[in-house]
Amino acid sequence: MTNHDPLEAYLARLLSALNGMTVSERADIVEEIRAHVLERAETSALTITETLERLGPADELARDYCRGALIRKASTRFSPWLILRAAYAWAKTGSQGFGVFLAALLGYSLGGGFVLVALIKPIFPAETGLWMGDGFFNLGFRTTLPPGRELLGIWLIPVCLVLGGLILALTTLAMRSLMAKFRQLKSAALSVREART
Amino acid sequence: MAANNGQNDGVENWEAQLRKGCLEMAVLAALAPGKSYGLEIIRTLEMHSKLVLSEGTIYPILNRLRQDSLVDAVWVESDSGHPRKYYSLTRKGRERAAQMAESWMEFAQGLSSLMEPLLSKKRGARA
Repeated sequence: MTNHDPLEAYLARLLSALNGMTVSERADIVEEIRAHVLERAETSALTITETLERLGPADELARDYCRGALIRKASTRFSPWLILRAAYAWAKTGSQGFGVFLAALLGYSLGGGFVLVALIKPIFPAETGLWMGDGFFNLGFRTTLPPGRELLGIWLIPVCLVLGGLILALTTLAMRSLMAKFRQLKSAALSVREART
Repeated sequence: MAANNGQNDGVENWEAQLRKGCLEMAVLAALAPGKSYGLEIIRTLEMHSKLVLSEGTIYPILNRLRQDSLVDAVWVESDSGHPRKYYSLTRKGRERAAQMAESWMEFAQGLSSLMEPLLSKKRGARA
């Protein structure tokens, strides 16, 4: 009698490791792997355990699925969090990806910073602003007021919102475009693990 | 001895990278004659090429090809008692496979003429 327990343990591990995918995508993947293992074991001299070993660790298999999925999703969505996660995955593949990740981090930090300044201006109107003096420039929140004149007053809110929104949008569009290009050029390298010899 | 091992490691890594780069093309080529399922594709690749695959490698590639609309997938009940997920090339996938085949043949022919003298020398040394 065939022992299915190692298979069920493997599939449960795979299911839990398939992050960032829909329930139906995960179920579909698990069913395909189950069918593969059962048919391989029944039509060859391999046991279930040996077949599972040939598939590789469940976590590694899930990572191969998710890595491709993450880049693919990031190239079509507008979520900065998703784009940053995909850029981080890209960064792990080489210096080019690392540069893209840094650019994404910088763009989102800068854009987010402008938006944050706009949001805190109504709460701390005196401490938040754009000050300019003799050789002095400061934008943001200060507990001790800097020398020089505050330039924008309440106009700081729309200016920062527009600038922040623009930087966030441009960063997102640039990252989406880079990821779509990366997916076309390097998709094979992203979604496969080291071929075993 | 250690230097020789290092040299072998270098060749093995290079071969692994070469295989990785060829996998997508090989999977599309395996689907060119008609629909097929994961295990059958693996067997086809084992039979017709020296791409020794980790069996788990093929499924994420198939999943990505489907997401890129290069292949279609459909579950079919089989006589074996387990349903099989059959993949077939879409029109876009067929075009991509043809482009890849053309590029590959040009690439391989160009490199072969460059590599031939190396192999002749090796054969001469053996003789």
